Amino acid sequence: MMWQQFTPELYHFAAALLFTALSMTRRVDNRRDYWVALSLAGGGLIVCLAAVRAEGLLFLNTYKVDLFAQLFKVLLSMGLFLVVALCSELNGVARRWHSEFYLLLFTCTLAMMLLVSSVHLISIYVSLELSSYSLYVLVALRRDAAMGTQAALRYFLIGIFSSAIMLFGLALLYAATGLTYLSDLVQVLPGVIDQPLVLVAVVLTLGGFFFKLALFPFHFWAPDVYVGAPNQLAAFIATASKVAAVAVLLRVVAATGGQETLLVDSLAALAIISMTVGNLAALVQKDFKRLLAYSSIAQAGYVLIGILCMSPEGADAAIFYALALLLMKFTCFLAVVKIAADGGNPSLDALAGLHRRSPLLALALMMAVFALAGIPPTIGFTAKLLVFSAAMHKGYLVLVLIAMFNVVISLYYYLLIVKAAYLTEPAVETPAPVLSLSARALTTALIIAIVVVGFYPNPLIVMARQASSSLF
Amino acid sequence: MTLYSLLFYLLAIIILASTVMAVTRRNLVHAIIYLVVSFFGSAMLFYLLGAPFLAAIEVIIYAGAIMILFLFIVMMIDVDRHKERLFPIRQCLPAIIFGLVYAAVGLMVTFGHSGSKASMPIAVATPNAFGRFVFEHHWLAVEIVSLLLLVALIGALYLGRLKIEKSAAAGKETP
Repeated sequence: MMWQQFTPELYHFAAALLFTALSMTRRVDNRRDYWVALSLAGGGLIVCLAAVRAEGLLFLNTYKVDLFAQLFKVLLSMGLFLVVALCSELNGVARRWHSEFYLLLFTCTLAMMLLVSSVHLISIYVSLELSSYSLYVLVALRRDAAMGTQAALRYFLIGIFSSAIMLFGLALLYAATGLTYLSDLVQVLPGVIDQPLVLVAVVLTLGGFFFKLALFPFHFWAPDVYVGAPNQLAAFIATASKVAAVAVLLRVVAATGGQETLLVDSLAALAIISMTVGNLAALVQKDFKRLLAYSSIAQAGYVLIGILCMSPEGADAAIFYALALLLMKFTCFLAVVKIAADGGNPSLDALAGLHRRSPLLALALMMAVFALAGIPPTIGFTAKLLVFSAAMHKGYLVLVLIAMFNVVISLYYYLLIVKAAYLTEPAVETPAPVLSLSARALTTALIIAIVVVGFYPNPLIVMARQASSSLF
Repeated sequence: MTLYSLLFYLLAIIILASTVMAVTRRNLVHAIIYLVVSFFGSAMLFYLLGAPFLAAIEVIIYAGAIMILFLFIVMMIDVDRHKERLFPIRQCLPAIIFGLVYAAVGLMVTFGHSGSKASMPIAVATPNAFGRFVFEHHWLAVEIVSLLLLVALIGALYLGRLKIEKSAAAGKETP
């Protein structure tokens, strides 16, 4: 047993345990939990970076540590660190539950790390459930209890529905092949993927991951949960949770190894419906978080294009897209958190006059929104370019055309956000959002990252290529 | 017809009949009791298929814990009896269509290809062997499940406290 390959998971497990202990002590200082969480999350990022080159098969081959998994663990811990950095004013959650908030946040990150490394169907399912259940409870922690529990209940109901579908798929998959290790499935599935039983089994199994990614037809929770959850948690769901979903989808879809099959067609159909539904619904939204939720549904459709290519190129594009989503969505939610300092839900009107109240925040929001829309020279443009060119190489011209059409539709509501922040004058004067020195540094770093990675994506693409080489 | 198949058909009839009763009862308590009978039948079926541990789990968790929880909930929240139809006719039609399609497909599968019959290999998983397998090969999953229980516990605790705090606050407002 090589424990050093398991250090990122052990570290986050220990952090969760520490918060279990902290939640039982008397509250002496309100800021204590925040500083402990921030330093632990920072340490977690360092541990994950240090373990990025680790390799090995652990726990009787049910757990695979390779560059692919380790890279996603770095992204996950980065997401956790960024989200915790937003929690300095955690007004959306009652003060006495802050320790539990961080405890569940760390547990959820741990579960997602286990998820990206699992190569056995049972461990995949169990870690998926652990991450989902942590999120259900986290959503319910909202200070406005009626709103939080309602959203959590909706999230929970759709979640158990999709996990029941996934379990049914897993059972069928086992019935058809008698295998549970992904490494065995890789060898058997490509030959039998056109059998109706296997195809149905794989599609149903993927349903559980589609729920995580908020992809049609499992997207119904996203708007309500984004609105009902505390703002920082909505940021976590929009970033880290999506990254984990992309990772596990890549691994499982790559295991089917199918080319030109019915599976590709059905995934393409889901991608098209998802982006169209997301973009059209986003056009009419007035609430900022609800708009971001529909935009995530649309973005999930774009990512799926990269995944369904089932080529190394497509996988690279999907990995890069996951990183881009992490940065872009996080920057949007940074603006949400800072604008709604009281922990409420900002509407689009609340953005009015932001460029005068806080030029830095307005600039960050504009860059993130441009990146989400795919305007050069941002990271979002590069990500979309990679995904679409991977699909073109496989000859999915119609799919790319429909996606391009969707990008044009989405421009409308993304530009609405920019218009609200830069051109609209506020009806009533609202106080400027407070940005501490560290928050300013974080915002500046995000703006730089969005632009610089857009210009020089090469090192990251090379990294993604190395990571995806273990998939195919 | 062997004794096994005789028992199987007997159990199948019990399960089917009690489930139909459970779905059609208007009195929720009666429905739950019928469901318990149905779970006992499934447990026996599992035992017959060579999974005694699964049978015990089915009785302990499903028939025991979950159904008792259902009974508690039904008795605590006063569910008003629906005198009218449970769902409108409009929703009945798709249900009937899907049911008919399912029945047709099922009949086709059962009687269509008589040559594709596969006999299941006889296997018995004793609780001992099952436990050894799970804890030797999948103890990571067992650990993850234990964390899951911790999370569920915290969630239950939070939601329970929420109720107490709310009623305490309401009590303060109206002394």
